[in-house]
Amino acid sequence: MSDFDAIDSLLAAVGPEAELPAPRVRRELRERARLSKAQVARALGVSPSTVAGWEGGRDPVGETRTKYAYLLDGLAAKFAADTEPETASPAEPAAPPVSDPTADSPSPEPAEGDEVETLAVPEPCVLCGHPAGTRVAGFAQHLDVVDCRTTATAAAPPADPTARPANAQAPRPPSRMARPSERSKGPAGRAFQEASGPGDLIGQAVQGALAEHQGDVEAATAVLVKRAIPDAMRLLDESRKGARYDVIAHPWIPDILKKQTSRGADQIWEARPKWTRAELPPGRHEVTTLDINGAYLSALKTHLPLGQLEHSTGLAHDRRRAGVHLITPPEWEHEAVLPNPIGQRDEPGPLWVTEPTLRLLLRLSSPKYGLCEPPEIHESYTSGATENLLEKFRIALKDARDTAIAEADEVTLEYVKAMYSKFVSTMGESNYNRELYRPDWMHIIRSQAFANLWLKALKAHDEGLTVVRAMGTDELHVIGDWRRVFPEGRGVTEVKVKDTYTAGTGTTEHTGTEGEEE
Amino acid sequence: MPEKNIDFGKFGARGIRGSDAVARKLDELAGGIATPVTVRRGLMARLHYLTKSAHARRAAQDAGLTVTDRTLKAWLEGGRSPSKANLARIDAAYRAVRRQNVARHLLKRLNRDGRGTRVEIHPLDQSQVARPLQRVVEYRTMNVRRWDRIVGSWAAGDYQGLDDAWTTDVLPDLGSQWGQYEYVTNIGFAA
Repeated sequence: MSDFDAIDSLLAAVGPEAELPAPRVRRELRERARLSKAQVARALGVSPSTVAGWEGGRDPVGETRTKYAYLLDGLAAKFAADTEPETASPAEPAAPPVSDPTADSPSPEPAEGDEVETLAVPEPCVLCGHPAGTRVAGFAQHLDVVDCRTTATAAAPPADPTARPANAQAPRPPSRMARPSERSKGPAGRAFQEASGPGDLIGQAVQGALAEHQGDVEAATAVLVKRAIPDAMRLLDESRKGARYDVIAHPWIPDILKKQTSRGADQIWEARPKWTRAELPPGRHEVTTLDINGAYLSALKTHLPLGQLEHSTGLAHDRRRAGVHLITPPEWEHEAVLPNPIGQRDEPGPLWVTEPTLRLLLRLSSPKYGLCEPPEIHESYTSGATENLLEKFRIALKDARDTAIAEADEVTLEYVKAMYSKFVSTMGESNYNRELYRPDWMHIIRSQAFANLWLKALKAHDEGLTVVRAMGTDELHVIGDWRRVFPEGRGVTEVKVKDTYTAGTGTTEHTGTEGEEE
Repeated sequence: MPEKNIDFGKFGARGIRGSDAVARKLDELAGGIATPVTVRRGLMARLHYLTKSAHARRAAQDAGLTVTDRTLKAWLEGGRSPSKANLARIDAAYRAVRRQNVARHLLKRLNRDGRGTRVEIHPLDQSQVARPLQRVVEYRTMNVRRWDRIVGSWAAGDYQGLDDAWTTDVLPDLGSQWGQYEYVTNIGFAA
């Protein structure tokens, strides 16, 4: 009997390959489900870059392909009501949208009691063998009897049960046999779970404030901005529910992270860029001031030390730890075209830098970039680190921000902006937020924003633009056609034009259009 | 109390008493004048704080600043400057009066109408302990609901009372291992 099983599996393997939606649709499906590439890759047993490749046009083969098709089907079924216009094929019958307008309910149940799913790619109907756009109780089939019966006689089930005595089961089309067995057990709607998150705290707060002030936008905004810090802390608490690591809010802090006086600064160098190109190329140039949207929001994704910082000396950098480091920075020989990654440091010698700056320097000293020597690490205060500590918090804010921009909702936009910027600025030794006392995080997040800006400057330089200026957290002045390098828009991955002016030999002349500050 | 440590630090563990860490944190939360008393600016700020009203003067006197009004006036006008011993007395009196003044407010914030405050306990430092003698001591958090005795004895400068309140009232809520948290590196809470 096992011989026949082996033959069966071989036959199954050479059967028609599972069909996949277009690469763009694959990506959309995944992003709508808020699944990361890494999550998908883990579930399929491949690397995230492979998933990126599939979404960029490559096609998987073999068993992985079947699994991937299964996942995409599940996602498509989940979002049936919304994705139908994009993925429907001409062969698809007019299937009734299975989920009601509240498409987020975990398992859409139609009135009949059977579970009907809409497929992203039509599959052969189990009854007639022709492409069907819906699946009922795990079997692809036509919903409407008319669609099915007209062709039922023309196409017999492809496999003949009598030819294979070993297989006493009901006939199944080959494309189904190659599929993982879980498919027949349950509907694909259960294939993934809604990412657990902090819920819609932001939306509720905004609605509450608007209701309280009878729709007075300015008053509501003022109230919301005023309570942004406690609300951000609440959002953080919500986003850490069921998480692996606690947010440790009051660890012991080494002296270098303590302010010397009440108004003074501590000893950490955040590497804020403040650089202007010494001389422009000859001629007059149109300079564009680009503004990086939500720089601090993006910088929340960084390696944050979890617990108490521990001292160590003379150790090499450990990728699994993060903190502050006393380093001697390398010589920077590209000052003429690119800012120094440690910022405008006047005094020479060792200095305390944070994790993002050190990682940037290490990266730039790697063979791939080869821009400088590796920094020399003398001392470190580090702790075990994770990049995901504020991830759900960041995603919640980013989603609220994206929605607010799409709906031109100024109240939510201001509120979100106040939340993340005040969260970062008060997470250290601030009297405005005593819930969290992590000056190390504050420095690290700021440095991450600066490092992100520096990398944008490098990208512009590598793409042939002339970088004129890099200032603060979010300001980049470039000469050249920047639109082919950076997408323009208001999303966090996009840039905004703040200003344009002409500069070069002769006087600087302002012809600018002032953009709003963000 | 069988859980109490008898000879702390014998094998190289380092830490401070939990109650000291609490007092330190409360001082931090109480805030106050940052400039040291040895600087003229710090001295003047303290003297003004201690002589602002009749009530303040009485509190300063109770806290050990037993100098005549004439001396205080001379100090304030800059005619004379206090001796080293008196500088220490001024500083001590300032700290005591400041604690008394903020205690009520701090207590209200910490009790939060009975909901209490979350306290983080960072365990002692075992890095100098021989490997075989090291023990797993985890970071712990707990909610402390009743702060009255803690803040009361802190405001009165009664360190023994504070230690009793912390070690006998609060710590045993950690469970059977509470003795491991008698000495800590840090105790953190917000108010």
